[in-house]
Amino acid sequence: MPGNRTRKSWRSWPSRRARTPWPSRTTAATLALCAAAALTGCSDSGESSSAGGKAVLRYTWWGNPDRAARTQAAVDLFEKKHPDIDVQTSFSGYDAYKQKLATQAAGGDAPDVMQLDYRMIDQYASGGVLLDLAKQRSALSTADIDKGLLATGVVDDRQYAVPQARGTETIVYDTKQWKAAGVELPREGWTWNDWADAMRALAEKTGKPGGTDPGWSEDAFEVWLRGQGKSLYTKDGKLGFTADDLTRYWTFTDRLRREGAVSPAEETTQLDGTVENTPLGRGGRALSDNNWDAPSSGFLALVPTGVTLAPMPSGEDGTPGQYFKPSMFMGIADSSGHPEESARFIDFMLNDMDAAKILGATRGIPVNESIREKIAPELKDFDKTVADYQASVDGTLNSPPQAPPSGDSALQTTFQRDYDQVSFERMSPREAAEDYVTEAKAELRS
Amino acid sequence: MTTTEIPAPARTAKTTPAKRPKRQREGAAWVFLSPWVLGAAVLTLLPMAVSLYLSFTDYDLFNPPQWVGLRNYTQMFTEDPRYWRSVVATLTYVVIAVPLQLGLALVVALALKSMRRGRAFYRSAFYAPSLLGASMSIALVWRAVFNDGGTVDNLLGTGGWVNKPGWALFAVALLTVWQFGAPMVIFLAGLQQIPSELYEAAAVDGASRWRQFLSITVPMLSPVIFFNLVLQTIQAFQVFTPAFAVSAGKGGPADSTLFYTLYLYDRGFVASHMGYASAMAWTLLLVIGAVTAVLFRTSRSWVFYASEGDR
Repeated sequence: MPGNRTRKSWRSWPSRRARTPWPSRTTAATLALCAAAALTGCSDSGESSSAGGKAVLRYTWWGNPDRAARTQAAVDLFEKKHPDIDVQTSFSGYDAYKQKLATQAAGGDAPDVMQLDYRMIDQYASGGVLLDLAKQRSALSTADIDKGLLATGVVDDRQYAVPQARGTETIVYDTKQWKAAGVELPREGWTWNDWADAMRALAEKTGKPGGTDPGWSEDAFEVWLRGQGKSLYTKDGKLGFTADDLTRYWTFTDRLRREGAVSPAEETTQLDGTVENTPLGRGGRALSDNNWDAPSSGFLALVPTGVTLAPMPSGEDGTPGQYFKPSMFMGIADSSGHPEESARFIDFMLNDMDAAKILGATRGIPVNESIREKIAPELKDFDKTVADYQASVDGTLNSPPQAPPSGDSALQTTFQRDYDQVSFERMSPREAAEDYVTEAKAELRS
Repeated sequence: MTTTEIPAPARTAKTTPAKRPKRQREGAAWVFLSPWVLGAAVLTLLPMAVSLYLSFTDYDLFNPPQWVGLRNYTQMFTEDPRYWRSVVATLTYVVIAVPLQLGLALVVALALKSMRRGRAFYRSAFYAPSLLGASMSIALVWRAVFNDGGTVDNLLGTGGWVNKPGWALFAVALLTVWQFGAPMVIFLAGLQQIPSELYEAAAVDGASRWRQFLSITVPMLSPVIFFNLVLQTIQAFQVFTPAFAVSAGKGGPADSTLFYTLYLYDRGFVASHMGYASAMAWTLLLVIGAVTAVLFRTSRSWVFYASEGDR
């Protein structure tokens, strides 16, 4: 590549191009035709259709391979019972799912039946993506579903989604190591101070952090906040706490981190909700973790000596902070060509006994009360652990908050980012809390 | 070309004979170009125009875009500390990764040039990372290697680089530097174009190896260095995959690898602020344009073209 040639081509290229006239009319017409062909080609492929007289439903969800296997088995059973309906499924991890679904919905191409998180309901319902389920009442029965949980799928007095199961948070700990350390075991009604003392005692006895630093988790913060009679959001979707509250929380967790009672910043920054990336799951770098109950089944493979589920700490006056959260919703796309078949499919997933047996507690404990009672004795292994845990706290918890406002899913990430600044000691808890509250207010305003 | 010229005489009656055939030739060219013109128009220009429009709106994917004027831009520059953190991270990365990568590429190219046997083999071997490096899987391997309990931690006992702010950026930069193959091949081609008489004459005059490098290789190679510099700088500004994978999609720890494109993606697809993300994208485009223009301007003082020497 000699220098002179390079320079010449740079020099001459723009001027030659400038002289080129715009295409003639015939060429333009040809281009337009090609464009039209391309566009029709696109719109044809996008529609959900009927193949060979069968209604084809698209059903998407997020989850792990275990949930996928059980879901597929349930779908197969549904197809057997309804030979005229074909269900096409696809799944991925939560973050990827959330982003893909939002893009699909924006393009008017939402799947017929979609699994939704509590945080997504408000956005999808008010954005006109979801079908008002009252329109399909004949095909989809909600009679047996826990009334309080059913109400969590209501936006603007309309039922847009039905929860499939409920979950609650838990302190999950390495049973053997905690006992061996000789520290008093977690008990019902323990407070955040009791918890902090236990973390310190465990660290002192074992030389390892007692548990995961809960400062990163908006979920854990919500439990702490509710224990003080406050909430993440007000009824009209504004921020339910102040920078002072958040400063106190982060000061509390930051002090424990400095003492070595909870996981160091290098560990905490890796957390993403999966049990594999928790200090407890990464070869026992800590003795406990706080997580959701159903996903904690993943610890079985990671902690060979076994884990126990304990309730989350309460406020100092005994106010419980944790609640039964509807763990996964099912909704129908407003644009679906097969709303009735979709409703029938959801009805099957929620109310069919055989389906419930297949699905077990893979999405949490079923919300259908009659099914919950009947399958409880048949649950095995970790499904049973989760069911027993939920039974142990059932009746002691306060009712769940209403669906979080749309900006919440972005704020969840912001929360973790801001706490990173605290745990790596780049900001004080006060500075980070002010940052968070400013950003949250902007997010909730838009 | 010939086929389109055949019907020309029949139509010449309508217009001036001299002009028509040329127009038709160009028409044919446009027809043949149409797949690419169409692709560029529909897949590049149209989305760019839409994103320019969206950058002045508040658009959350679910509700129709609402015109907000310059608010996205003012918010970006005045109210978003994380935006500036991402700018600093990106600039740091560009300043570290590009010179290191080009330096390494040049050193290896020089070594390969003086090699008598096995040059083709080593050239391919060093080029291989460039082919692999852009892939997600390599970035994931990188994360594992530099994580706590990974290879680097075990060998050096430094702990996990990817979990320490201040170190994580180096892990990502190293991944880029490792892919020095593409600029290296270009350097090698450039080196082989330098006339050997120049070196011979210099050797006769008693110039040392180092003197030859400074007075012959560098000036003669400067157009190629410039070309690589511009290309790699533009690419470095847009780095996404390695940072996304190495930081597990978060740009962490403590936003230290939250590169511009990563934050743009976060705003657009995680927080559903497509308007804001579009405004960020256009700002990035303008900044890259400006940086490239500055590079071109400075090139006048240090890039030597053989043709100028003749004049």
